[in-house]
Amino acid sequence: MSTLSLADVLPKRSPSVLPGFGLTMGLTLTWLSLIILIPLAGVFITSAGLGWTEFWRLASDARTVAALKLSFGTALIAAGLNAVFGLLVAWVLVRYSFPGKRLLDAAIDLPFALPTAVAGLAFTALYAPNGWLGSWLVPLGLKVAFTPLGIVVALVFIGLPFVVRTVQPVLADFDKELEEAAATLGATRFQTVRRIVLPALMPPLLTGFALAFARGVGEYGSIIFIAGNIPYVSEIAPLLIVIRLEEFNYAGATAVAAIMLVISFALLFVINLLQAWNRRRIGLAG
Amino acid sequence: MPGEGARRAPVRIDVEELGKSYGSFAALDNVSLTVRPGELLALLGPSGSGKTTLLRAIAGLTATEEGTIRFDGEDATTLSLRERRVGFVFQQYALFRHMTVFDNVAFGLRVRPQGERPRAGEIARRVRRLLELVQLPGLEKRFPSQLSGGQRQRVALARALAIEPNVLLLDEPFGALDAKVRKELRRWLRELHTETGLTTIFVTHDQEEALELADRVVIMREGKVEQIGTPADIYDEPATPYVCEFLGGVARFETKAKDGEADILGSTFPIESDGDYSGPALAYVRAHEIEIVSRELAEGVPAVIRAVRPFGPTVTVELSIEGRAERIEAEVPRELHSGGELGLGQGVFIRAVSARIFPVN
Repeated sequence: MSTLSLADVLPKRSPSVLPGFGLTMGLTLTWLSLIILIPLAGVFITSAGLGWTEFWRLASDARTVAALKLSFGTALIAAGLNAVFGLLVAWVLVRYSFPGKRLLDAAIDLPFALPTAVAGLAFTALYAPNGWLGSWLVPLGLKVAFTPLGIVVALVFIGLPFVVRTVQPVLADFDKELEEAAATLGATRFQTVRRIVLPALMPPLLTGFALAFARGVGEYGSIIFIAGNIPYVSEIAPLLIVIRLEEFNYAGATAVAAIMLVISFALLFVINLLQAWNRRRIGLAG
Repeated sequence: MPGEGARRAPVRIDVEELGKSYGSFAALDNVSLTVRPGELLALLGPSGSGKTTLLRAIAGLTATEEGTIRFDGEDATTLSLRERRVGFVFQQYALFRHMTVFDNVAFGLRVRPQGERPRAGEIARRVRRLLELVQLPGLEKRFPSQLSGGQRQRVALARALAIEPNVLLLDEPFGALDAKVRKELRRWLRELHTETGLTTIFVTHDQEEALELADRVVIMREGKVEQIGTPADIYDEPATPYVCEFLGGVARFETKAKDGEADILGSTFPIESDGDYSGPALAYVRAHEIEIVSRELAEGVPAVIRAVRPFGPTVTVELSIEGRAERIEAEVPRELHSGGELGLGQGVFIRAVSARIFPVN
């Protein structure tokens, strides 16, 4: 019996065509740990100090549950709206030329650049019962400011560029011949868009949706102005965390944070699975 | 089954005075031609000659400003793409990536309005038959990304044939394939054309491909038709200097004609197009029409052998003659080479066996 040395068991290292794997991977892991993993782990460690029963009591507190529902609900609705209208905006920007197109294109990025508090103030001024739009809408029974509807409005504003900017390049690269092929095969314009163009735009649309959603869940600045922050009605989870912190209830704050983290991660994970499934479906590896 | 298998009579296409310009650039300039029913026609020309624009205009993909296109006498320019029923194969195939081979081929049947649309079982049967026709049975569930270039090409063809088209149009059908696959597909396309009997037009910039495959060839230049004819017509009687040069393999001589005749490499040839022309003329002599004469006879003009390429059925010899910068290529029988008569730097005499001469206006 011959003995196996460690070198025989481990895969042989062959010189790589792309050297530097060890160094770059090491840097990447260190960076990710410092910036993302360690702070997030801190959230769990702090909330773990509560003990399971205490954690569950805080988590199932009616006010916490209402805030979480509101945060994730409004973020999903806003991301959904953005997926539809962002696609439309990207379509118009890519497919047509019209005067002022570049200006409009630049304006898409405003929600990225603008301090969110500015947006919040603007929306509040607009939709408040005595604002420009509010003074028309409130008599009609449509209250936007200080309701969940106002939160959705703010999140749609915040999330729009994510969808537009992810869909835009893919649509611009979309091969016109595919549409021509569909047309020569007898497809109507509607059939062509639905069966040929939209499926090709699904991956960037999903990515844009996920980004808009993630941004919406974490949004704070613009919402606290327009939401009115009424507990159980229009109080979002991030604000609840701040309130708990101001009460020096650090454990309570981290409990809410931990739950948000888990739900966000689960939802983004599902979206990633959807993406992978979509890629496999069209016969691409990975 | 009614209608099924009953082959419709092939369609005749008349292109009448077609014009299309992009700004000041005339992509099509007063183009008229007739495609005979069931014919396999090649549109041949360099890029920018308008051949693809013409193909797209016939398909209805490019709108034209002037002229009409008729399918069996009916004005097609007023018809929608759906009504034209044109099977179009794109150069890059334009397969739907997110659909299987089956769904790609079935697409044209599934998008038909309700009432005209065959039932699912019928669609499946037709798709399977088409895939057999293009020799891809069993690949229904594959995606385009899992196919080779030649296979994609065939799927694109099956998809175009699924709508039972009036005409089949192919844009550079072999452009994206490697040389070996090209040759195979070329022969196969010829067979497929015989089998379907469809009026078929294909675009190519490869003269060999056009002359080998087509019933008739249309040579295009700068948006105009330069010559239409069978491959034999075009090869034997090129209508213009441009056609001579485009077909290639010729030596070009600038010369002077007198009373309808010109002197090329020591022999005199008539100008067929213009019996008593005198003035500057262009002459073209193909490589195999140049003869190397032994020194003793001393016919033709003296030349020096500069290079010998002894492969293929004939031997290509590069020669230089006095007063001419470019070398002249001659294709001579192998025996001459094996006889040891073709030494580098050796002095010989060459003469033209035949030549095509065009007046320069």
